[in-house]
Amino acid sequence: MFQPLDPLLHSELRLAIVSLLIGVEEAEFPYIKEQTGATAGNLSVQLDKLSTAGYIEVEKTFKGKKPCTICRMTGAGHQAFENYVEALKSYLNVK
Amino acid sequence: MEEKKNLTAERSLEIIRKSIECSQRTITQNSALPLIWWGTCVLVLALLIAYLWQNHGGAAWNLLWAAIWPIGYLGNWMIDKKREAVPATFVSKCIGYVWTTFGIFCGGTGMLLGLIGSGILPLSLIMPSVFIFGCITSVISLCFGMGTTITGFIIRNRVILVCGLIAGIGGFFGALHFPGHEQLYVMAAVAITGLIVPGLVIHFSTKNKEDMSLCSNH
Repeated sequence: MFQPLDPLLHSELRLAIVSLLIGVEEAEFPYIKEQTGATAGNLSVQLDKLSTAGYIEVEKTFKGKKPCTICRMTGAGHQAFENYVEALKSYLNVK
Repeated sequence: MEEKKNLTAERSLEIIRKSIECSQRTITQNSALPLIWWGTCVLVLALLIAYLWQNHGGAAWNLLWAAIWPIGYLGNWMIDKKREAVPATFVSKCIGYVWTTFGIFCGGTGMLLGLIGSGILPLSLIMPSVFIFGCITSVISLCFGMGTTITGFIIRNRVILVCGLIAGIGGFFGALHFPGHEQLYVMAAVAITGLIVPGLVIHFSTKNKEDMSLCSNH
């Protein structure tokens, strides 16, 4: 029986963002942009979606005089990712 | 990265795997340069002090070790400033704490013994025998080796683990065989084995994997 996949995570870029953030405490916007290879505009849109869903926290701050956007996973994000991987297993026939 | 509606389970798994691998690789690679930098600092200072000790006035030149802090941290600050802001992970934090502990213990003990050895502080302040001063290279080598070995265990790299064992155990007993300034050659060898070689191993192993362009093709 296939389990439903979270539509918010079932997108290439959003899944890559969450997979990146899952292993770190927090990451800055340029780092996520470089690692995912996404454009700044697209990345901002996807981060907003994840933030609105409560999967990540986005903190806008300053590094010296430069603006700096820091992203980190929330508890709900961790849970959602865990559920997503569990659901994936049912599609891949992994026990 | 383009958005695709028909994302298969296999593709999802591939994205997760690549993202985690690439991120971990970048983080690991960024720990290589500080290792190489600090190792080079120790190597150059050890050889310089050995030369000065032998040719220009004795063990007081050991006070030059104090210069490793401003030089080392200035270089480290420049490395940090140049490289991309890499996020902290549990692994990178563990490695950082291991080497900070090493720095505090060896720096503190070494400087105190250096001040006593050069006559600035009285020997009776902390120890009964001059012999212990002669063994400080052994102690520092052992700490070096432990730091490198723990790093090797944490990042699961057998070469670094072996380098740590050689630097620690080899340096500990090696230093006991050499009196005076010759101990500093042991320290130089420990810096190469315990810091520079592991740094180069990390740097080139992650670079080779990067060439396979895993990260650029999500």
